[in-house]
Amino acid sequence: MNTVLLLLQKDLRVLRRSPVILGALVAYPIVIALLVGLVAGYASAKPRVAFVDEDHLPNVVAVGGHRFHIQKVVDGVAKQVTLVRLSPGEAARELADGKVVATITVPQGFLGDLQTTVRSPSLILQTGSGGLSPRVTQQVQSLVYQLNGKLQAGYISANLVFVRLLLHGGQGNFLGRHFNVLGLERTQSELAKLPPSKRVAAIEHFVRVARAGLAQTGAALRATANPITLRQAKTHGRTWLLSAQVQSYGIALTVTFLALLLAAGAAAAEHDEGTIGRLRRGLVSLTELVWAKVALAAVVGLALGAAIAIVFGIVVEAGGITGGEPWSRLPLLLAGVVLAAAVTGAAGTLLGALAREARTASLLAVLVVLPVVFLGLVPRGALAFAYWVSLFLPFAHAFRLFDAALYSTHPWHTVAIEAAWLLGLGLAFGGLARRVVRTLSE
Amino acid sequence: MTSALLRALRIARRFGEVEALAPTDFELLPGESVALVGPNGAGKSTLLAILAGALEPSEGSVESHARIGWVPQRPAHYSRLSARENLELFARLEGEREPARRARELLERFSLPAGERPSGELSVGNRQRLNVALSLLGDPRVLLLDEPTAALDPGQRRRVWEVVTALRGKGGAICFATQNLEEVGHADRVIVLQDGRVTGSSVDEVFA
Repeated sequence: MNTVLLLLQKDLRVLRRSPVILGALVAYPIVIALLVGLVAGYASAKPRVAFVDEDHLPNVVAVGGHRFHIQKVVDGVAKQVTLVRLSPGEAARELADGKVVATITVPQGFLGDLQTTVRSPSLILQTGSGGLSPRVTQQVQSLVYQLNGKLQAGYISANLVFVRLLLHGGQGNFLGRHFNVLGLERTQSELAKLPPSKRVAAIEHFVRVARAGLAQTGAALRATANPITLRQAKTHGRTWLLSAQVQSYGIALTVTFLALLLAAGAAAAEHDEGTIGRLRRGLVSLTELVWAKVALAAVVGLALGAAIAIVFGIVVEAGGITGGEPWSRLPLLLAGVVLAAAVTGAAGTLLGALAREARTASLLAVLVVLPVVFLGLVPRGALAFAYWVSLFLPFAHAFRLFDAALYSTHPWHTVAIEAAWLLGLGLAFGGLARRVVRTLSE
Repeated sequence: MTSALLRALRIARRFGEVEALAPTDFELLPGESVALVGPNGAGKSTLLAILAGALEPSEGSVESHARIGWVPQRPAHYSRLSARENLELFARLEGEREPARRARELLERFSLPAGERPSGELSVGNRQRLNVALSLLGDPRVLLLDEPTAALDPGQRRRVWEVVTALRGKGGAICFATQNLEEVGHADRVIVLQDGRVTGSSVDEVFA
């Protein structure tokens, strides 16, 4: 143990004397995490969808006595997707090329069906086979739901014009025919002028009941059209940049990058400096040597992970963000960071021993770390193969462990599973590293 | 009969298809000084590294009855640490009781700079002297030296040999590889290596 500490102190001292490398090691993954997160966040938030209008919808469509500006409707409801107007041929080509993830087609006769209301008109959705298809389908369903909502509102408003006419009376028209309606209000006034009688009283009673009933028609129609409405309460919530996912992702990426590079570089440096031969002469066992590099990754990973979590927390607190930073979970997060950094350090030591030279090891680590991270970010539904591969790499487990440790209401189940995975991977990488480090003195 | 401080039985080493050292026996007795001579690639460094425990033999075994100090051919120390820090670190790893005092002593004995300058920035001669100084940590009775004076000027060479040969007077032994004929004079016995095999015990066989 003393030997491991001596080597750890040495490596930390060497690292402290390389401020440029240390700065780059810290800054690079943070910048990459932010950039990748921004691109990934934007790309998934607004996928490109083709809009094919085979019915040649006019700019303004009158439905149920209401006028709809097509572009305004499209802009208003297409918050989740970027709708691009394309011809049928262009849309088919771009869908095949993957430039759009789906096409929405307004078929011929759509407007006629909509205006006559004899049958429900259909929009046709065609999606590609990519991983975003289920998501786009959901977004287009949401778009149709919102369109239906707007049309329902239009139909209800048109119907309510007649209800109001029945209530208050006045001029009206239907299918081009103009007419004058007395209305229940004025009927009640006229009845009041008649001599009281049993028949007049009965009619007055009916008019009162009818007025009361019709007065509720608008609310009743809206309620039946939308039995459940979703009301969005405005809160001082997190922006995407301050989301829980970004914090977990940022720490996982930074720790993975740093631990892999540091351990790989430090292991290969023992060969470069020729010191591995000295150490192996009974001064340090192979196991202790691997442990020293693992400890280096864990210590530096812990320092950096803690710094990121604290800075993130301060920004969240200063911004008065709802929920604040879960400070009480910080020890659990940091325990996870130590474990993840150590496991990645074992993988880095293996990489460094295979590369044998510090420069090659660093280059190899940079080349390896990005696929490792991206594999961990691919959703299971998108590409099952990537998911299965990511199970045998530390990043995805680290990310899930950090996420659960910080924000899950009941984190222990996830934390235990991910920690077990990490421990298993650490033992495997450490064992392999020990075998390969043996060859460094040759 | 004097027992050997270091004995190797049929040690051999292959690197893939290349046989760097054919099965070889070796023995080093107290007070003895052995020179390994031979052209480049003869197997001298491989033999010394195996004897020092820095390299595992592909076959055979090494028995050691004394602490061994090793001076590898290429200076082996941490270039971002100063000479003092390197000496202190390896003194601790060797289990020296007073690592700081021992480091100061060796810095003085080998005229090494005591400042905080990284050892990687020292002159070639200083780095080589540091390499030799590191081998003396832990008070070894056997010193294995791989061309220890290759980068040193005559004065520095003389000082290194003074320190190294003093070990013999204390019952220790040395074995060194060299391509310098003058240095062979420091040896009682010569082993000639060629293409990984012991071919004789006369220097003339190689340098004739």
